[in-house]
Amino acid sequence: MKSINLKENQFIQFHQKISFKFDGVKYFGYKGDTIASALLRNNINLVGRSFKYHRPRGIYTCGIEEPNALVQIISEYSEPNTRATIKKIYEGMEIESQNRWPSLENDFGSINNLFSPIFTAGFYYKTFMGPHKKFWKNLYEPLIRRAAGLGKPPKDFKGISNHIHHNVDITIIGGGLNGLLAAKSFINSNYDVLLIDFEEQLGGIINNSNKISSIDNKEPKDWLKETIQEIEDSKNIKILKNTLVTTYNYINHLIAIEDRFVGSKPIEGKVNSTLHKIRASHTILCNGHIERFLSFQNNDLPGIMLSSSFEKYMCRYGLAPSKEPVIFSNNSNSNSLVYGLIKAGLKPKAYIDSRSGEEIEPNLFDLIRKNDVPLYTNSQIKGAFGNKKIEKILVEDSSGALNEIKCDCLCLSGGINPDVHLFTQSKGLLDWDEKDLTYKPSKPFQPTITLGSASGQFNFDNLNSDINEKLKTFKVKKLDVKLELNTNTKYNIEKLWEVSPQKKSLWAKSFIDLQNDVTTKDIRQAITEGFDRIEHLKRYTTNSMGTDQGKISSINALGIVSDLLDKKVNEVGTTIYRPPYAPLSFSAIAGRNCYEFYDPERKSPIHSWHLKNGAIFEDVGQWKRPWYFQINKDESMHDAVQRESKNVRENAGILDGSTLGKIEIKGEDALEFMNLIYTNSFTKMKQGSARYALMLGEDGMVKDDGIICKISDQHFIATTTTGGAATVLGCMEEYAQTEWPNLKVFMNSITEQYATFNISGPKTREIMKKAFPNINFSNEEFPFMTFQFHEFNDIPIRILRASFTGELGYEIYIPSNSAPKIWDNIQSVGKEFGLAPYGTEAMHLLRAEKGYIIVGQDTDGSITPIDLGLSWMIGKSKKDFLGKRSLARSDTIREDRKQLVGIIPSNKADKLEEGQHIILDREIKSPVPMLGHITSCYYSSTLGHDFALAVIKNGHSMIGTKAYASTSSMSTTGVDIVKPVFYDEDNKRLVS
Amino acid sequence: MLIINCPYCGPRDQSEFSNGGEAHVKRPDGSKEIGDREWGEYVFIRANPKGLFYERWVHTHGCRKWFNCVRDTSTDEILVTYKLDEKKPNLNNFKSVVKTPSGEPEVGSGNFTVEK
Ligand SMILES: [Zn+2]
Repeated sequence: MKSINLKENQFIQFHQKISFKFDGVKYFGYKGDTIASALLRNNINLVGRSFKYHRPRGIYTCGIEEPNALVQIISEYSEPNTRATIKKIYEGMEIESQNRWPSLENDFGSINNLFSPIFTAGFYYKTFMGPHKKFWKNLYEPLIRRAAGLGKPPKDFKGISNHIHHNVDITIIGGGLNGLLAAKSFINSNYDVLLIDFEEQLGGIINNSNKISSIDNKEPKDWLKETIQEIEDSKNIKILKNTLVTTYNYINHLIAIEDRFVGSKPIEGKVNSTLHKIRASHTILCNGHIERFLSFQNNDLPGIMLSSSFEKYMCRYGLAPSKEPVIFSNNSNSNSLVYGLIKAGLKPKAYIDSRSGEEIEPNLFDLIRKNDVPLYTNSQIKGAFGNKKIEKILVEDSSGALNEIKCDCLCLSGGINPDVHLFTQSKGLLDWDEKDLTYKPSKPFQPTITLGSASGQFNFDNLNSDINEKLKTFKVKKLDVKLELNTNTKYNIEKLWEVSPQKKSLWAKSFIDLQNDVTTKDIRQAITEGFDRIEHLKRYTTNSMGTDQGKISSINALGIVSDLLDKKVNEVGTTIYRPPYAPLSFSAIAGRNCYEFYDPERKSPIHSWHLKNGAIFEDVGQWKRPWYFQINKDESMHDAVQRESKNVRENAGILDGSTLGKIEIKGEDALEFMNLIYTNSFTKMKQGSARYALMLGEDGMVKDDGIICKISDQHFIATTTTGGAATVLGCMEEYAQTEWPNLKVFMNSITEQYATFNISGPKTREIMKKAFPNINFSNEEFPFMTFQFHEFNDIPIRILRASFTGELGYEIYIPSNSAPKIWDNIQSVGKEFGLAPYGTEAMHLLRAEKGYIIVGQDTDGSITPIDLGLSWMIGKSKKDFLGKRSLARSDTIREDRKQLVGIIPSNKADKLEEGQHIILDREIKSPVPMLGHITSCYYSSTLGHDFALAVIKNGHSMIGTKAYASTSSMSTTGVDIVKPVFYDEDNKRLVS
Repeated sequence: MLIINCPYCGPRDQSEFSNGGEAHVKRPDGSKEIGDREWGEYVFIRANPKGLFYERWVHTHGCRKWFNCVRDTSTDEILVTYKLDEKKPNLNNFKSVVKTPSGEPEVGSGNFTVEK
């Protein structure tokens, strides 16, 4: 294909040469070129290999609908599957073709084309089934993945995208003729308007075709310039260019992606795309139409392109891809291409139309006759032939004779479709137009207006009245635009979906989906095999399932299916159009919510101290908690945890418990409310005392636990688990508002307002005395499970005597801002007593030795307080609380429920593993009846062996018996089932 | 994404809200004897109609207030939101505006209207 540059073009700067590389070879294009137009300028049309058969493929279109010309942009982190027809070139751009090996010219995979008779519809489903199910994973899938497909995944891509929200009255999608006229109506009105266009230059059909000769007696481009200026000057209209609307959701919620680096290389670290999230009261769709192709033998050869695309290359890029293309059409849409070619001093090699001479427009007839263009009416192309490019075509003329025409380019037009993608995404309904042979928008589901060819108006004669009528609900001025056309015709089309092949050969291919290599034969075969519902057919054949979603071909497929089934097209229906309209990258969707901004990190006020003191952190929800502290780089986690826990048992340890949820509950009816929320009864509880409490779901299962401090009947402070804080507050709010709105009670989170330090160990009292000399910590003055308010150096603090380790312990609550000072003070006075910080892992070990549960680890949403042996916590005299009635359900009172027990290895040297099953038999013989599983498991240096908590069926009555625990090496370990408490069963240390 | 009209704050993005399931489900009075069936139905059973549905929402990332609404589950359209202490609206008031975009046609897909 020999292309020529046309002299004049307002969009291409012919004086500004740009060099780029395609498959390692350097070429030149001009500023304003897309990859496709630049390649065509260099007479390159072989740009890729097809998905399945590795057939040579060229540039088929000039826009977003491109099925073939997908390339990999090496200079942009190797971004794959980029449409060459829309991506602009820049100096130094590096591009590679896709899906070929070792080279585009000599592709090994094209051997698939020889085997093509076996790669038919449903090929994968039928072929790769046996002989063993492992064959798919280990052999077939890796092979297919290498042979079939598109580009390679990008490397080290760190795209940055911003999200911007718009709230407007009107969104106009498409800045072509109708979009501009709609925007013009809204100039200086009271409506906020957003006008969005995918291209850098507004104008659509005015820029892309020869159709319009004058607007309001002006040159189209002059009118365009004036109009755009007026719209830009209007204060109520905002224009987004280089922005593609990909998604049309409920309630006029649109998603659009703006390319911020059109025609230049994205700068690392700069925002390369903007995702616009738009809310509008009304959406006006002016997104135009898409031309269809036609199916005949070898309709995929490089050198074949859509005729409107050829016209767009001429008008928009100053480039005729060929000097003498053959045109094949079944409709009037290519008339303007014939006109444009002749105006440019070129001539079609032949004009072939499936319509009869009477149907062909008289002015086209005149033009063709006057310029001696060979004309074939009532004729069809039987096939195209050539080696990696089109060289000749066979035309069956009206007499049935076959004519061979040599050519280097063939322009196709199979008719046009309104681009209904966004309209159907909005849930609007389509109707089949039997005259124009296409689906057109009918009933909108939302406040959606369609204008111009997007609404199925393929002629211009109702331009003004249509816009005025559809915009009459708005207070805008009426339009009266005068439009003159170059080829004064009404849209006319004759039905033609597929030309029947000249030779019936197994290797003859007439494509219906170029990107996914689906042939018309595949469609036939699928229907023969019973896949006659359009959604089944689509998935079985993969028709229209490529990244182009069959934009130029899916209606043809419906036409072929309707003929085969002898049904009307609207009885066949269409498949559902789903967002996005065109692929958009994950980085655009993620926006700034990635890397360090992916999820907030919550840190305690003591965090910087932990960092300085060797803390290794653990994520608990969004919180960073010290897991353990390394005293030197060589200390292992096991050693650190054992050292920390031993120190708590022998001296004293301090844990940063600031992440625990803290909720303050106040109000006249706070007592009654707390009695309803928790299982415990708080009525008889003294002021200044604290209680360990459980919260259940209405199903009776344990949801959270914590310590409740009663300041008065009108004022409580509850602690929750670190992970459960939001849920507990949410649950309290829900019941306060929805079930007991009569109770006067308010609650709020004070988690971040207060830091919490948990100090415990036998030497704690001495440390506390030294740290807070004005407070009496004696057992009489400060008994277990009581709390006191104090002031320390003018800092208000609350001290609670409680323990999660089983040792004497205190929890200190301090306003967050003053916490580091007090923490440092405790560290320095504690030194002489051997005080050391400990992390969550040592805390877990210490509490497990005491048999204290962790909600979410030892419980899983199917465990009641009774299962845990915590019946004493249930306020039996209370009439009601969350989940109370469920504790008496037949399923909850079953005796063989899973219950909490302790497990120790019968042979103390044996190891236990968390998550392993408890079973009755030493031998593992399937089916293995499983009693339950180990929920927590640790080595204890205090005990000198492994121990575990487990939930097992009928566990409470199995205490004192023996069983087995499975191991990860598929054997078993003998275990003793014991009470779930391993240390200081009488709580002597707790109350010492 | 839906726009939900919080009765306290006005129209806001769906991402600020959490769904709370069926509305107007009365919690049995704990001070009285409750049968297994009655309690079981309260805890486990909720309606799941295609069409109009009384539903609870909470403005989680806003005013934290619970409120009720009528939502058409076939179209996701929220027809009205109202405060908890307001009377529940009569569903017959909305019949005329119910539409189904994907009314399961015999052949084809969501692009067909189904006349009721
Ligand atoms: Zn609100």
